[in-house]
Amino acid sequence: MKKNIALMLALLMMASLTACSSSSDSASDTTAAETAAETTAAETADDEESSAAEEDTTAAESAAAEDSDLAYIQEKGTLVVGITDFEPMDYKDADGNWIGFDADMATAFAESLGVEVEFVEIDWDNKILELNSKSIDCVWNGMTLTSEVTSSMDCSNAYCNNAQVLIVPSDVADQYQDTDSLADLTIAVEAGSAGEEVVTELGVATTAVSSQADALMEVAAGTSDAAVIDALMAAAMVGEGTGYEDLTYTISLNSEEYGVGFRTGSDLAELLNTFFSESYADGSMLEIAETYGVQAALIEQ
Amino acid sequence: MDLFLEQFPIVIRSLNVGFLQTLRLFFVTLIGALPLGLLISFGSMSRFQPLNTLTRIFVWIIRGTPLMIQLLIVYYFPGLVLGNAIWGGGETGRFLAASTAFIINYACYFSEIYRGGIQGIPVGQTEAGLVLGMTRSQIFFKVTLLQMIKRIVPPMSNEIITLIKDTSLARIIALQEIIWAGQSFMKGSQGISGVIWPLFFTAVYYLVCNGILTLFFGWLEKKLDYFR
Amino acid sequence: MSILEVEHIQKSFGHTQVLRDISFSLEQGQVLSVIGSSGSGKTTLLRCLNFLETPDGGTIRVRGESIFDASEQARLSDAEVRRRRLHFGLVFQSFNLFPQYTALGNVTLARELLAKEEPDYRTRKAQIHREAEEQGRALLTQMGLADRMDNYPHQLSGGQCQRVAIARALALQPDILCFDEPTSALDPELTGEVLRVIRELADHNTTMIIVTHEMAFARDVASQVIFMDDGRILEAGEPRQVLEHPREERTRQFLSRFSQG
Repeated sequence: MKKNIALMLALLMMASLTACSSSSDSASDTTAAETAAETTAAETADDEESSAAEEDTTAAESAAAEDSDLAYIQEKGTLVVGITDFEPMDYKDADGNWIGFDADMATAFAESLGVEVEFVEIDWDNKILELNSKSIDCVWNGMTLTSEVTSSMDCSNAYCNNAQVLIVPSDVADQYQDTDSLADLTIAVEAGSAGEEVVTELGVATTAVSSQADALMEVAAGTSDAAVIDALMAAAMVGEGTGYEDLTYTISLNSEEYGVGFRTGSDLAELLNTFFSESYADGSMLEIAETYGVQAALIEQ
Repeated sequence: MDLFLEQFPIVIRSLNVGFLQTLRLFFVTLIGALPLGLLISFGSMSRFQPLNTLTRIFVWIIRGTPLMIQLLIVYYFPGLVLGNAIWGGGETGRFLAASTAFIINYACYFSEIYRGGIQGIPVGQTEAGLVLGMTRSQIFFKVTLLQMIKRIVPPMSNEIITLIKDTSLARIIALQEIIWAGQSFMKGSQGISGVIWPLFFTAVYYLVCNGILTLFFGWLEKKLDYFR
Repeated sequence: MSILEVEHIQKSFGHTQVLRDISFSLEQGQVLSVIGSSGSGKTTLLRCLNFLETPDGGTIRVRGESIFDASEQARLSDAEVRRRRLHFGLVFQSFNLFPQYTALGNVTLARELLAKEEPDYRTRKAQIHREAEEQGRALLTQMGLADRMDNYPHQLSGGQCQRVAIARALALQPDILCFDEPTSALDPELTGEVLRVIRELADHNTTMIIVTHEMAFARDVASQVIFMDDGRILEAGEPRQVLEHPREERTRQFLSRFSQG
């Protein structure tokens, strides 16, 4: 019962404090502490499960596998992947099917587990909530591995490089080519994003908004001086031939990596690492990366 | 301009799909909350004290907390705390969870309007019915109900117009209603990204819909104008 | 045999005794006038007869049949209460017409609803409907409202409303028709039309109990007058005797206020 109350509190705090990263740290601490006990139990199951998986048996039915995430998704027959509409990682083709580097990899991974894949659009702010409440099974959407992410999810190895870049109006771009020039700006960032983390570390004033797209709009509308967003997204969304022709991106503020997030204690993260190294080795991962133009950012597995 | 013309049909198709979801949530909420609200209002007027108190506390809690929190609790609570994700992760589950939260929330608001409407009817109406040998249910359906409806049409029309705008709150649990559809073109969707006008254009849908509702309630008020 | 026998009726609201040991009887075709100052218990007495209040003690019999007995322990079913209360009709001070029905609709509604409980309702539906409407038209014509049948209550004057209410009560053919200050809510110039209607009913031997402040009317119409004071029947008898030669000092005081006014 105590655990339930703590989780309930965490739920309420997450709902109300997502905009405030310092506070949400304490919320995720609560979750982490509460799930620590489960982790030990899950690890035991993990060991038994991996040996069972090698034998390729119906381990899902065994009582020992009760806490195994693999057994859980195999029993229901679907891997539910939490995504947002994020070109080139997860987006819809003309027929409404989800494609993209992440989407294709997720489909292949689900196939290797012998389950169907289901993509569900989520509110990015609620990704941890979605995972823990089992409405999704993983977050696979160009997710930067920040300390916040790795402390509240079990993550795969990094598979893609990324950077946080500064977005400014094109006509003033030459004034902002180093971090010192940012001191007087107000920078729009997505709440809880990697961008927010790096800008806060620089000690520059931020305006937290609910998505990276909103951050871009802040700059376009002149309500913020600049924005910090993912390099992969910036490449797709600003500059010539996009909706924001008057914006451009200048310096990279950090370098970072993408990973896939699972529930804490899940055995799927380890399985995905194995899957990544296999498909990197046989070249199929590179092939998919080339389809979506992200091969340069791919990390060796 | 060419770009706009090229984007327009794609955006409209997407907004239509979103608006269909908005309307679906709107009508399901009405169908569920209109009768449930009546039940709750009977509970809050009950002479059986425990039921009366319990109902009033329930209504106080639901009306006293934001619908957004209720949506989060209804959708995430079962999986998070009870360890059983009853709604599932898909769009259907999200819709059912949103409908549940909306029906409960709006039934509580409706119940208070009903209660005001019923208690505002002079007790002499019921007594006249009793003296004429009518049953309690005949009195309700043949005498008080229509008088209550006439009294509650103005406050109900307010509440129902608020409801259609409130459906946008369901995006907190990622129900893909029209605002979600409009916003998706800012983030990038179907080859269109960084475009803000679809979001603003959703206002047109709400306006048209509320225009129709306003006309309907105006007509209804007029229709009930034959008695006082 | 008396049509109505009321014995030892008592009623309290909280610690206030509103009716103390009320007994009287009424013969078929008689008109009983109940007078007394406000708060004397007249209205509560009518409400007890119509089951709008439950007396704490006493008995009520209609044509010898017990319709209320406080010593009976068993609670009556709703259906039984409804059957018994139909011995009485009640015309309210404030009419209480149903605003969403026409004058005719007000008169026929209860009868049509009652007919639904009859076993042959389905087969005779059209006929019952027609009979109820014919009866309603006849009653309203009798009340002088032939040209007002399709008007809604808010389109009628107070006097017309009260006459519709009388027709509505008569439609169920009660044994005893009760009036609770039927003219008190009316403008003085409208009381005459209502009193005239009641007088006609008296001429046709309708058994009635009328709570009223119209002393002249009571004297003309009533066959019996009861003066109530503080929940008791202080004086009862022929109108001439009670109203013109009261024995009690309280009655004299009460009546003097009217003769002066």
